Amino acid sequence: MSDGAMPDLDPVIHAQARLRVTVALAALPDGDRITFPRLQSLLGMTAGNLSTHLRKLEDAGYVEVTKAYRRRTPVTYAALTETGRRAFTDYQAAVRALLDGPGDREETQ
Amino acid sequence: MEMASEERDDAAPLSAEASMELIERERASVGRRLGVNQAPIFAVWGVAFLVGWGACYLAAPGGPRVLPVWAAVVIVAVLYAVAIAVPIVLGVRAGRGVRGPSRLTGAMYGWSWALGFVALAAINTGLARQGLAPATISMLWAGTAQLVTGLMYLAGGMLWRDRVHYALGVWMLVVAALSVFAGMPGDFAVLALAGGGGFLLWSGLSVVTGRRR
Repeated sequence: MSDGAMPDLDPVIHAQARLRVTVALAALPDGDRITFPRLQSLLGMTAGNLSTHLRKLEDAGYVEVTKAYRRRTPVTYAALTETGRRAFTDYQAAVRALLDGPGDREETQ
Repeated sequence: MEMASEERDDAAPLSAEASMELIERERASVGRRLGVNQAPIFAVWGVAFLVGWGACYLAAPGGPRVLPVWAAVVIVAVLYAVAIAVPIVLGVRAGRGVRGPSRLTGAMYGWSWALGFVALAAINTGLARQGLAPATISMLWAGTAQLVTGLMYLAGGMLWRDRVHYALGVWMLVVAALSVFAGMPGDFAVLALAGGGGFLLWSGLSVVTGRRR
């Protein structure tokens, strides 16, 4: 965390599946939320896989999952929280810093 | 060593390059499916103008008169209905499963088109009943329909902060004014060529810029 050091990549976001979920949610206009099935079809993920990753993002406070009832059927909505949006912005800045950082690019494998 | 798919996803190490690539790829793909592609919408409007107002020109008194007037009116009405329906269908499809402020904006924008044209029809019908000359009536319809269309594109440009969209609205307002000054049946030719041509040009522009909303 000290100044000048290579920024660490947020482990909550830095995993393929969760990064994809985050990008999709960040693409929504501010204040909008998306239903679980639509998000699933956008990402082409299985329901189990998506809910696992949504839960991890929710636990970190990055995603807000809400349930509503439409004609007695429960509908699950997901949206990026303010914290999540900020974390994603920071994550992108960190990735960019890694990419055009000074010479000693030490990649994990 | 079988792992659950979610575990495998987590285990896969992601380099900074791969991460950046993934963000860009995913953003483009999600944007394509959540956004409404403007190119086909402009294209449908372009054809509606070119063919619809072109038919009016061909039917108008003082023009070539190769088409009965009722046929021209039917063609314009049908093509306008299709051109109004296409963006609604595309918008509803793109917005599936999305709730929130942007849906309200989209719904209000859609209703503004409908309300604008309903009010326009009422006003023009009322004016026509006051005994306007047939040429004046046709110019009234052509000019005011164009005015509403132009204003709606200005509104769309404001809503989605899209200069290309806004510029199309400006062009449509120019066409509206030109059409009235062209007189009968030149007004129809102006709408067909300058209006329809404008839409087709903007459709091409949208393909080039890849802009969606």
